[in-house]
Amino acid sequence: MNVTLPNSETGISQALDLLRAPNARLVSIFGSTGDHHERYVHYLIDVNSREYRMFSSVVTGPIPSATPISPAAAWYERELHDQYGIECVGHPDPRPLLFHENWPENVHPMIDDVTHVPWAEGQYQFLKVQGAGVCEVPVGPIHAGIIEPGHFRFSVVGDTVLHLELRHFYTHKGTEKLFEGTPVIDGVMIAESVSGDNCFSHAVAYCQAIESAFGISVPPRAQALRLIGLELERMIAHIADVGAMCGDVGFNVPAAYTARIKETLLRASTRFFGTRFWRGMAVPGGVTRDFSSADTGEFGRMVAAAAGDFAEMARLILHTSSVQNRFESTGILTAEIARQTGVVGPVARASGIRLDVRCDHPSGRYRDINVDVPLYKYGDVLARARIRIDETAISMRLIHETLKQLPAGSVLVSVPLSENAEAWSAVESPRGELLYWVRIRDGKIARCHIKSPSFQNWPALPVAMPGNIIADFPLINKSFNLSYSGSDR
Amino acid sequence: MIGDAVERSLRSPQVLISVSELFSNAAGSRMPDVQPDLLTDEVARRVVAACPTSALKVDEAAGRTHLILNYGECIACSRCVAAGNGAFRYAERVARCGVRKKALIRRWDIQRRAEVVQDEPALSQAAEQIRSLVGRALNIRQVDAGSCNGCAGEILALTNPYYDLERFGIHFVASPKHADMLLVTGPVTRNMAAALKLAYDAVPSPKLVVAVGACGCSGGIFAGSHAVVGPVDAVIPVDGYIPGCPPTPSMLLTGIAHVLRPLLLPSRRRTA
Ligand code: SF4
Ligand code: SF4
Repeated sequence: MNVTLPNSETGISQALDLLRAPNARLVSIFGSTGDHHERYVHYLIDVNSREYRMFSSVVTGPIPSATPISPAAAWYERELHDQYGIECVGHPDPRPLLFHENWPENVHPMIDDVTHVPWAEGQYQFLKVQGAGVCEVPVGPIHAGIIEPGHFRFSVVGDTVLHLELRHFYTHKGTEKLFEGTPVIDGVMIAESVSGDNCFSHAVAYCQAIESAFGISVPPRAQALRLIGLELERMIAHIADVGAMCGDVGFNVPAAYTARIKETLLRASTRFFGTRFWRGMAVPGGVTRDFSSADTGEFGRMVAAAAGDFAEMARLILHTSSVQNRFESTGILTAEIARQTGVVGPVARASGIRLDVRCDHPSGRYRDINVDVPLYKYGDVLARARIRIDETAISMRLIHETLKQLPAGSVLVSVPLSENAEAWSAVESPRGELLYWVRIRDGKIARCHIKSPSFQNWPALPVAMPGNIIADFPLINKSFNLSYSGSDR
Repeated sequence: MIGDAVERSLRSPQVLISVSELFSNAAGSRMPDVQPDLLTDEVARRVVAACPTSALKVDEAAGRTHLILNYGECIACSRCVAAGNGAFRYAERVARCGVRKKALIRRWDIQRRAEVVQDEPALSQAAEQIRSLVGRALNIRQVDAGSCNGCAGEILALTNPYYDLERFGIHFVASPKHADMLLVTGPVTRNMAAALKLAYDAVPSPKLVVAVGACGCSGGIFAGSHAVVGPVDAVIPVDGYIPGCPPTPSMLLTGIAHVLRPLLLPSRRRTA
C-alpha cells in the first residue's frame, strides 16, 4: 500500500517522530523543486513492512537531521545537501558525497545552472586512526580486477582491519538530473543504464512508477513476462555472485563453472528475446516482445537445467572444507547493525531481517503468488552465499510456475503522453529494494528519484570489516556485491 | 570436497565457441543494420525522428540525400528497427568494431539505395608499433571511467569458458604498468577523469587505448550530463572504438582483434 500524506509544514517532524518507532524503516529521503521553484524534502518510510508512507515539506532553511535518529539516513541527507543545498542540522558527517574536490562548493545541480561548472581543487579528509602500529592502506579507485571504481581506505594493525572508510561516487553521472525534461517513454532507457547488471529491475521499477502515475494496468501476460525477466535477472546475479566469492578464496574451478552457467542463461535470453540482459524489453505499458508457446517449453527447460547444474555445484562448494573455513564467521553484519543501517535485499535476509518487496509491497504478478523468503541469522559471508543459493532455486520455481500458467493476450497497452502526475513503485531487484519516484509534468519527467539498494547497503560494509583481516576484504565485499554505478548514479 | 567440484567441472561438455563463429558476430547486441534496397525518404524521416540519440541523421549534401548512422552514438534501443519498415534490422554481423572514430559512421545514398563506401582511416602510429612488438600476446588493463557496469560485465564475460580470451594470448592484468592496452568503459565522469589520466600515464609506451561502448565512444546516453566530462577521447588519445550498449563479448573480441588485425584475425594470421 502506498500512502501520500498531504504536504505540510509539520511533515519533517512527523517523519522524524515516526522514524523513532521500532516498526518504521527509512526507505529514502530526497528533494524536489515545485512548480514555483520552491524546494521540498520528502521522507519515504516503510511501516510494518506493509505500507510505504510519504511525508513532504516545503524547505526554506536548514532542517533537522534524521541521521541521529536513524543512521540509515546518513547518505541520503548528504546527497540532499549536494543536490539541493538543503542543510541538515545535527548531521554527524556533513562532507560532500556525490562530488569530489573538483566540484565547487555551493553549486547544487538540481537548483543551479550547471552548464559550465568550473573545476575546483581541494584535499579530501579521511578519518585518521592514530596509535602505535596503525597503518593506512589506500585501495582504488582503480582496482586490480575488472570491476567498477571506488576507493577504500583501511586503517590496519598488522593484518587486522581497525577501520574502513569508503570513498565512492567516482561513477556519479548526474543521472537523476538527466531524467528531467525527458519524455516518459524515453526515461526507461536512462533507467536501464543506472546499473547495467540489474537493468531489467530498473526498467520495470521505472515503468511501474509511470503506470501507477497514470493509473494504467498492464496486461496479465506482460506482468508474467516481467516476472520471468526479474527472476531470471536474480538467478543470473546470484549465480555469478556465488562464483565470484569462490574466485575470491582461490577456488577457481567453481568460479569458472558458474560463469559458464551464467553465460548459458544470457545466451538463452539472446535466443528467445534477442537481448542478453533484457534491455529494451520493459516499456511503460508492458513489454516489447512475446514468445510462442513452443518457445516457452524450451526456455523453461534451459532455465531449469541451468538451475539444476548450479544447485549441484553449490552443494559441492558448500561441502568444501576450505570454503567453509573462509566463509564462516567472516564479515559478520549483526542484525542490530543491519537494522540501524537500513540494509535491504540478500544482505538483510542473511542477517535475519525479513524484507522482500515481492512479499511486503507486491506489484504486478507478485500480487497473485506467494514467494518463499529464505532467512539466515548469522550475517556472515556463508549466510550471504546460502541466501543466494536458496533464492536461485526459488526464482527458478517462480519462472517455471509462471511459464506453466502464462496468461493469453496482448503484452502492451498505450500510455497517455501528456498529463501531470506523481507516483512511485518498488521492485525487489537482485540487490534488494529498488524504488523509483517520478513527478510528471506535461508528459515529461520533472523529477525522478531512484532509491537504489546499493546506496542503502554500502555504508553497512565498513561496519562488517573491523576485526577481519584485510585479505578477507575482497571476499566480504563480494558477498555484499553492491553496484557502484547503481549507488553513485 | 575440492575434488568433487573439479570432477564435475571436468565431466561437463565443452562450450568453447569456435573462432569463426565468434568474429564479427553481433547476436544479442540489438545493434541496427540497414537494408539499403528498402530505404526511402519516408523511412529515413521516421527513423531519424524515432532515434533518441543523434546516431541517425539525414545529410543533404551536394544535391543528394544521405542517411548517416553513427554507431558510436547508438545505444542499441532498437527503435529504428521498429520504425524502419523492414529497412532496419538487427545486425547479425558487425564490422565496425575496433576501428578509428570516422569508421564508426556509415552512410547510405537514399535515392540510389546503396551504401556510400568510404576508405577506412589508417591505424594510429601506436597501433602499428604495438603490432610489431607484441607478437601474439597482449596484456590488457580494463579501466572503468564511469560505466553503468554493463560494459564492464561483458568484458568480464570474455574470460568465461565460452569465449576464453586467453586462448588468443590475451590477458587481463592488474596494473596499468603491465599493460599494452587500456580498455576503457563508460563516459568519463568528472570524478574519474584524473584517475584515468594517471592510469594512461602509467602504461609504458607504445600503448593502445580502446574506448568501449556507446558511453566510451560518444558519452552515449550520458552525453551532456553536468557530471560527465565526455567520451574517452575527451581525456586521453584513443586508437580504436568498440560501439554497443553494451557490446557483446563477440563484439569486444572482434574490436580488440581489429586493432591488432594482422596478428589476430584468422584470415590474416599467416601474413602477420
Ligand atoms: S538503435 Fe541506435 S540508431 Fe537505432 S534508434 Fe536506437 S540509438 Fe538510434
Ligand atoms: S555503453 Fe551502455 S552498457 Fe556500456 S556503460 Fe554505457 S550505458 Fe552502460
